[in-house]
Amino acid sequence: METRIAPSRAQRTEREDSREEIRSGWEETWSVLRRFPRRQPLGAIGGILVALMVFFAIFAPLLAPFDPKAARFDTYLPPGGDFLFGTDHLGRDVLSRVIWGARLSLYVGLTSVGVGITLGSLWGVVTGFFGGPWDAASQRVVDTLMAFPPIILALGLMAVLGQSVENVILTLTVLLTPTAARTIRSTTLGVKEMMYVEAGRATGSPSRRVIARHIIPNVMATYLVLFSVNIAYAIVVEAALSFLGLGAPPDEPSWGGMLTGATEYLERAPWIAIFPGVALSLSVFGLNLFGDAVRDLLDPKLRGTGAG
Amino acid sequence: MREYIIRRLLLFIPSLLGVSLVIFVLMRLVPGDIAEILVYSAGSEQATVAKAQIAKIRQELGLDQPIAVQYVLWLKNILQGNFGHSYIEDRPVWNMLREWFPRTMELAILTLLLATLWAVPLGVVSAVKQDRWPDYLCRSLSISGLSVPIFFSGVLILFVLVRYFQWLPPLEYVSLWEDPSRNLQKIIWPALAQAFYISAPITRLTRSQLLEVIREDYVRTARSKGLIEQLVIYRHALKNALLPVVTFTGWWVGRLLGGIVVMEIIFQVPGMGMGLITSVNNRDYPTVQAIVFVMAGIFLLLNLIVDLLYAWLDPRIKYA
Repeated sequence: METRIAPSRAQRTEREDSREEIRSGWEETWSVLRRFPRRQPLGAIGGILVALMVFFAIFAPLLAPFDPKAARFDTYLPPGGDFLFGTDHLGRDVLSRVIWGARLSLYVGLTSVGVGITLGSLWGVVTGFFGGPWDAASQRVVDTLMAFPPIILALGLMAVLGQSVENVILTLTVLLTPTAARTIRSTTLGVKEMMYVEAGRATGSPSRRVIARHIIPNVMATYLVLFSVNIAYAIVVEAALSFLGLGAPPDEPSWGGMLTGATEYLERAPWIAIFPGVALSLSVFGLNLFGDAVRDLLDPKLRGTGAG
Repeated sequence: MREYIIRRLLLFIPSLLGVSLVIFVLMRLVPGDIAEILVYSAGSEQATVAKAQIAKIRQELGLDQPIAVQYVLWLKNILQGNFGHSYIEDRPVWNMLREWFPRTMELAILTLLLATLWAVPLGVVSAVKQDRWPDYLCRSLSISGLSVPIFFSGVLILFVLVRYFQWLPPLEYVSLWEDPSRNLQKIIWPALAQAFYISAPITRLTRSQLLEVIREDYVRTARSKGLIEQLVIYRHALKNALLPVVTFTGWWVGRLLGGIVVMEIIFQVPGMGMGLITSVNNRDYPTVQAIVFVMAGIFLLLNLIVDLLYAWLDPRIKYA
């Protein structure tokens, strides 16, 4: 990555460089975001789907007609009447569970990505900036964590930690941190070679200040891309773990968990599986479109790196 | 080039060691002692019996030794093909792995075959008819493939089979050599579901690569000498466009391993994935440890092969 970033920056004219310095990374990020809907119509569609998901997540207690965990209705009631999406094999209202599922998915996605990507990015910035033996050692740690097939590592971790929403978040954090560390480190290596960083150091700014004032604003775009692209990924992994019975506990309204065992009563009550599945697919679809658009806008060079 | 290959080969060993260390430490984090869990989950609650059993199992597993010694012993055993003993199934883990491994591999290979058979032509059509309706169709197909999580598409396939065809795949697994048709009747569905998923990025990559190559000088030369379009595309352009596709596909196989676990559960294929979930649920830790290690090993090996393949296929790439 670093070799691809460096020359393209170097090719810019001096005037462009100085202009870029005046417009800090933050402002540039903001102006890009403002132009978003016009430049990325597909991304805007994704944005609408994401907004819907967020809406359901926030107002779940008001929107859900019943308690998602209460199993007090007849089992296998088909959709219609009081139960728009029917009831499941334990007599819980599927619609309420689907609505609360948005909250659970978003909660897991946002917290795990928030913690994982932030920690990983800080790790990447610090090791990339200082270099040296600690950097080399930490790269080996990243190598090792990335040497596992992600789902398999997650399954192993969940097997040890035990079923709970918090443990899913912890597991996802372990999965996401090394990816972020690797990507942000290579971006940092590129930024570190810029003139203004050198200038900052030459005038005697302490490293802490150089990192805060020059490095972090310039890796912000990559950070935001990693953030937006990985939320869908985190949500799918949570759903997959819960589906396999190793994620959220069965009474939690997880979309993946609601599909568990769906094969057994598929003939009798397909709605139990289909509604949460559709909700999950639409959310992932929206997040993917939105994430792709954010990536194209903020950092076209990340395209096709498999960051998610 | 030779130096690169040697360096890449040497890198494999520390990676594998790192992986084994992580797995070993992970399994030691299990709350309580593995021996205790084994005994209590087996159901013998009487304290005296349990204590004697625990001591015996501890000794058998070498749990009374220092951690570092345990690790070295475990590694040594693995090198000798001894993956430990499953107390739940009461047989060597190696025997189970030998049974499960070919089934998982069959599923993986079939998935990959179906995915490329479908994805590469789709990508070619998409590129040749750029920005016309076949292109849009192919692209939306591939985006939708990426958005439906495989466990949902798996469930949907089952649903359609049951509801509209009143047919279920055979419940029992028969090996390919015993009865190919029954075997395929079971294996084809999980392979299809996952192939649909992984074909999306392959289609996209094929399309973008081909679009790039089509604009190269040598393709223009081929056209200007009067070659018919099909020959230009298949003989000249596609060959070079497929290069990154090959390596990318190899890289995807690693990620496929996670999906295979899910597919094996939905379609009841008794492979490594189902073995992993069953042994996690049974708290059969020696088996969990072995399966995770083998899967991570396969993943590393695939990455190695992909890297070497890349160096071999594309001599233009220099490795500093």
